[in-house]
Amino acid sequence: MGASRLRFFALIFILLPFLFLFGISYASSELVINKAERRIDLTSSIVRVYTTLKVENTGPSSASEVLLAFSPAETEHLSVIKASFVEGKRKKKTFSPLPVNPTKLPSAPKGTQLFSLSLSKPLNNGESITLEVLTIFTHSLQPFPVEISQSESQFVHYRDSAVLLSPYEIKEQITYIKTPSNKIESYTRVDPTNVVGTELKYGRFNDRPAFSFLPIMVHFENNHPFAVVEELIRRIEVSHWGSVQVKEHYRLVHAGARHKGVFSRVDYQARPAFSGVSSLKHLLARLPPHVHSVYYRDEIGNISSSHLRGDSQKSELEIQPRYPLFGGWKAHFIIGYSLPLQDFLFETEEGKRYLNFSFGCPFVETVVDKLTIKIVLPEGSKVPTAEVPFLVEQDQETSFSYLDVIGRPVVVLKAKNIVPEHNVPFQVHYKFNRIFMLAEPLMLVSAVFLFFVACIAYLNIDLSIARPSSLQSSKE
Amino acid sequence: MAPSAKPIGSPLPEAWYPTLALLLLTVGFLVTATFFIYEATSSRQSRSLPKELATGAVASIFLGFGSLFLLLATGVYV
Repeated sequence: MGASRLRFFALIFILLPFLFLFGISYASSELVINKAERRIDLTSSIVRVYTTLKVENTGPSSASEVLLAFSPAETEHLSVIKASFVEGKRKKKTFSPLPVNPTKLPSAPKGTQLFSLSLSKPLNNGESITLEVLTIFTHSLQPFPVEISQSESQFVHYRDSAVLLSPYEIKEQITYIKTPSNKIESYTRVDPTNVVGTELKYGRFNDRPAFSFLPIMVHFENNHPFAVVEELIRRIEVSHWGSVQVKEHYRLVHAGARHKGVFSRVDYQARPAFSGVSSLKHLLARLPPHVHSVYYRDEIGNISSSHLRGDSQKSELEIQPRYPLFGGWKAHFIIGYSLPLQDFLFETEEGKRYLNFSFGCPFVETVVDKLTIKIVLPEGSKVPTAEVPFLVEQDQETSFSYLDVIGRPVVVLKAKNIVPEHNVPFQVHYKFNRIFMLAEPLMLVSAVFLFFVACIAYLNIDLSIARPSSLQSSKE
Repeated sequence: MAPSAKPIGSPLPEAWYPTLALLLLTVGFLVTATFFIYEATSSRQSRSLPKELATGAVASIFLGFGSLFLLLATGVYV
C-alpha cells in the first residue's frame, strides 16, 4: 500500500516536466477552473471530501462534460462520487444531481482514473458554472504507530495532494483539512500552510497547471473506532401474509491501530477516559420504523447487551459487542428483525409488485467491505428485476424454506466498499398472481386429508390372516 | 416511486392470526373427533364412505387453515 503510493509519487516527480507540457496542451482544450475549494473531513474513519469548483469555458466550442481526476491510490479506496450543479446564490441555492461515469483520457498520466460529469445543458464559450462534488474514501487513514497498547491514543496518517488533481488548469485553489482534535503531530509544510485549531489550510495556490500534484501527509490523533464490516450478508424475506423478515450476518473488525500487550478489564472499566479510548464499545443501527421481533445473537446464543428505542419515524438499535473491540479484534454476530409488509411492498398500476427497501448497512459510520443482499421473494413470483441507483453485481438463485415445492426466487445483489451514503432505497420488481397465496394452506389441507384417507383405508380394509368368524360359523 | 403505487398488506389483519388459529383448530379437532367417534361406533358394514370422506374433508380444511394461521401467529411466515 505505502510502497504503491511512494511509487506513484516518484512517478509524478519524474513525469512532472512532461505533465506541464500536457497541462499546457490540454488547457488549450476549453475548460479552466477559476476557483476550487476542497474541504477534507477526517473526523471519522471515513474520509469525506467536499469540493466546490467554478468551471469556465474559455474555448470556442461548447462543453457537455466536466472531468474529475483521481490518483491510483485514491481510486482504490473510492467509494462514492456525487456531483451536483449549483444554481442561485446563498440561501436560494438549488442543487441538481449530475450523472457520473468513468472515462479515459489519452493525455492523462498513467494510472489516473477519470470520471466525467455530464452537464444537463452544454457550457458555451465564456460561460461558467459552479459544481459541488462529494467524494468518499474508505481505508484511507493509516494508523501510525501500527500497534498501540490499551492506554494509548490512536494516531493516523493521511496522505493526499495539497493541490487538486485535475485535468484542467486551476487559477485559484484552497484546501482545508479538518481533524477530529487539535492534536496534530506533524504535517507537510507547503508554502502557504496554516493551522487553526482543528483545521489545516493549504493555499491559496494560484495558476496551477493541469495534473499538478503536491504530496502532503498529516499525522494526527483520531480516536474514532474504525468500525469495518468485512462481510455483511443481508437476507430479506418477503411473505405476502404480512411480514418482511431481515436477517443480517456481520463479520465486524476494528480496523484501527492494532492492540499490543495485555487487556486489563479493571483499567478499562475504572478509567474509561484514559483506557481503550479508541476501542469499539457500541454500535448504533438505524432501522426502519415499526420494527419488531428484534434479535441479536452469535454462535453461542443471545447477546443481552442491546437496547431498542423507537417512535413512528425511526427505530434505533444500540448494540454492544460481547467484548469491547480493540484494533484488529473481530466479532461475528447476527441481527434479525421483522417489519410490517405494507411499509415496503407496493403495487403499480400495471399490477406489478415491487419491494422498496434500503440498501447498505444500517449501522452509522461503518464501512462495509463486501456486501451481499439476498431478497427472497414469495414462491410463485415471476420475472424479478432489481433497480439499484448505482452499479452492483446482480445474480439470481432459488432457495427453499417452509412449505416450498418449486422454491422461492432470490435476487442477489453484491457490492463492495459501502459507506452510510449508500443507504438509499432500491426496488425489486416482480409479478405475482394472488391465487398462489392459497398454495401453502392447500398443501396443509391436502396433507391432513391424506391422513384421513389413510385412516379410512385402514379401518375399511381387513388385514387379518384368519378367516372372519362369521364366514367360519356359516361353513360349519 | 410512482405516485399511483399503493401499498400491499396481508389479506387479513395480522392481529387476527392467533384467534383464527385457535378457532379453526378447535373446530378442526371437534370435527376430527366426530370422525373417529363415527369410525369407532359404526360397524364395517354400516359405514358410508361418502360420509367418512365428507367429514374428513371438512376436518382437514379446518385443520389445514388452522395450522397455517398457527404458523403465522408464531412468526413462521410461510
